[in-house]
Amino acid sequence: MEYRIEQQKELSEKLRILADAAKYDVACTSSGVDRSNTGKGIGNCIVPGICHSFSADGRCISLLKILFTNECVFDCKYCINRRSNDVPRASFTPQEVCDLTIGFYRRNYIEGLFLSSGIIQSPDVTMDLLYQTLWKLRREYGFQGYIHVKAIPGADAELIARTGYLADRMSVNLELPTGEGLKVLAPQKQRSKMMAPIRQVREARKQNKNELALYRHAPKFVPAGQSTQMIIGATGESDWQIMKVAEHMYQKYEMKRVFYSAFLRVNEDSLLPVLPGGPPLLREHRLYQADWLLRFYGFGTEELLSEENPDFNLLLDPKCDWALRHLDRFPVEVMGADYHTLLRVPGIGYRSAGRIVKARGLGTLDYGNLKKMGVVLKRAVYFITCGGRQMYPVKLQEDYILRNLLDGKEKLSADAKDTSVYRQMSLFDDPRFSV
Amino acid sequence: MIRVFQCEDTLTGIMTGVYDAWDSRLGHGQVRLQTAQNMEPELFCEYVTVFPDLVKAEKVLRTIQRRMGEEAFEMIAYASSYPDDRKADALYRMIVLGLHLPDGREICGMLTQPEVRLVFELRRKAWHIAHRYMGFVRFRELKSGVLLSVIDAEADVLALIAPHFADRLPLENWTIYDRRRKKAAVHPAGKGWLILEEVEEACFCSQKESEEEARYDALWKIFHQAVGIAERTNPDLQSSFLPRKFRPFMNEFSGQQEASKGGRDLL
Ligand code: SF4
Repeated sequence: MEYRIEQQKELSEKLRILADAAKYDVACTSSGVDRSNTGKGIGNCIVPGICHSFSADGRCISLLKILFTNECVFDCKYCINRRSNDVPRASFTPQEVCDLTIGFYRRNYIEGLFLSSGIIQSPDVTMDLLYQTLWKLRREYGFQGYIHVKAIPGADAELIARTGYLADRMSVNLELPTGEGLKVLAPQKQRSKMMAPIRQVREARKQNKNELALYRHAPKFVPAGQSTQMIIGATGESDWQIMKVAEHMYQKYEMKRVFYSAFLRVNEDSLLPVLPGGPPLLREHRLYQADWLLRFYGFGTEELLSEENPDFNLLLDPKCDWALRHLDRFPVEVMGADYHTLLRVPGIGYRSAGRIVKARGLGTLDYGNLKKMGVVLKRAVYFITCGGRQMYPVKLQEDYILRNLLDGKEKLSADAKDTSVYRQMSLFDDPRFSV
Repeated sequence: MIRVFQCEDTLTGIMTGVYDAWDSRLGHGQVRLQTAQNMEPELFCEYVTVFPDLVKAEKVLRTIQRRMGEEAFEMIAYASSYPDDRKADALYRMIVLGLHLPDGREICGMLTQPEVRLVFELRRKAWHIAHRYMGFVRFRELKSGVLLSVIDAEADVLALIAPHFADRLPLENWTIYDRRRKKAAVHPAGKGWLILEEVEEACFCSQKESEEEARYDALWKIFHQAVGIAERTNPDLQSSFLPRKFRPFMNEFSGQQEASKGGRDLL
């Protein structure tokens, strides 16, 4: 395949442009693979992932997150790199990406590489460049750290397949929650074209599992799985619609993660909404919380939202909100309730639920123990008994609990424009930092 | 009369203390372990200083591994690295308890026991710190090609993080120096790692940096600046994940104060 890459710009200038252009992709986790070094190259991976720094917006920096190029033949309305924008353009060479990755990795700046790209010339040309870069990094440099790469919709399936054997994670961004939204804001993109590589990766992973069962040393295909991302608030979808899509992605496509990205108005365009309160960060936060409930707490979208009640309560996290609507299921007796029932108690995380089940088999628990195990009593107190006793007398009454819960840290001002309040809350969704 | 065994604040020190206390045959109620050196002596206590002894410590550690399992072993190793005056005694009690169980492996789940709970808690804290350092350690490349990092960790994490870096960078010569403890984890390329005690920082830091170093340092700073989204700027959130005490050791934050001052002047 033919392409020419301009070599003019300084590497530092390219990095500035191509890191800046990649920052809107919110995925930066390096989790999900355990790989020791073979003793021959450089790098390894550990399951929980590692944060190497935090940027000024409080997000974890784990990977060298860059675009290969910000040239793009497409013109998606919401994207800073769209063809019709007059922005400085740059492209790396595979060699430059390798130099940066290895140079940063040796100094322990990063956990690995996150390589995305605008569409240069055609999807095939772009995918081939990504493939070449990964091949060089893995084969010539023996790099065994984490690699997250984009699969380019519309690219040759064979190229995507070969790239998948070099990457740990692959992702295709859905961009907008529904096909209708895409039609408006990204008319050159089609939902069906996006789904093709997602389906391909799912199938190839299934097949790879069988191969690995037969031959332990068979090469691994995208071992950390797929992820995707949706922009929140650029189009009119409800939380219910968004969560339905996410749930579908988890169930049907075995996605490892779905990311949500509050819409940022980077372009002047009449088709884009104007959000005077800034990006809908609180809404994004609620979606992440609900996402956790789907993945780790056995909740279904239908339990949290419905067509009649399609959006999350911005005042209350979705788990508390659910509990308040189901007070008949509480209080839960901590010494007796099964794991799944414990999981549904506000203030009890999946780790603490696990610890409770383990510890109570070996002795009697009290509230002091629960606290040590990570239970947030401030919340849980309304919903549990321990050894038949409440921690202190509380009423199992919706208004009463609501008032008290809102007195806590997450209390929000009624004026939703006052972003300063929810800016305090964590927008970060790394498992290690959540309750 | 209670006999207090004063141990050095290291895994070897505490495990030697465990050995000596057990070996004293005074009865578990009559002995106590502590690592603090400058505590007020109490009445009715007799103080003995424990000299760290690798052979004794090894014996204890091997027994723990055999009878209480890997998880308990790891829990003890991590907890011992965390600065807490209660840890030596809690570790002793936990080991006594574990070795009296028919199946010592169960000890890790016995969170209703206060000593086990404390050790569990300290392990969690130490793991958290160690995990942070796996990310926050910054290597500089020296003229000789050696990668050097300096840390000032509140817990004794060198031995906890060295295996991780040895696996990650097996073909590099690297050193992580703990300024607070004057210790270094040293890894010669292609070989195992070891801990050097009582070494001065100057032994490692007198060498000049390699030619490439300034280039990568600058590139990293550019990257770090570029990835933040201005509309989401949130210094409080950043500080809660990356407390300021780590920053003097992380190159992306060096020179930042001046930079932000300059920015304000422009406004
Ligand atoms: S294809 Fe990607 S890079 Fe190109 S305009 Fe659309 S979103 Fe932006």
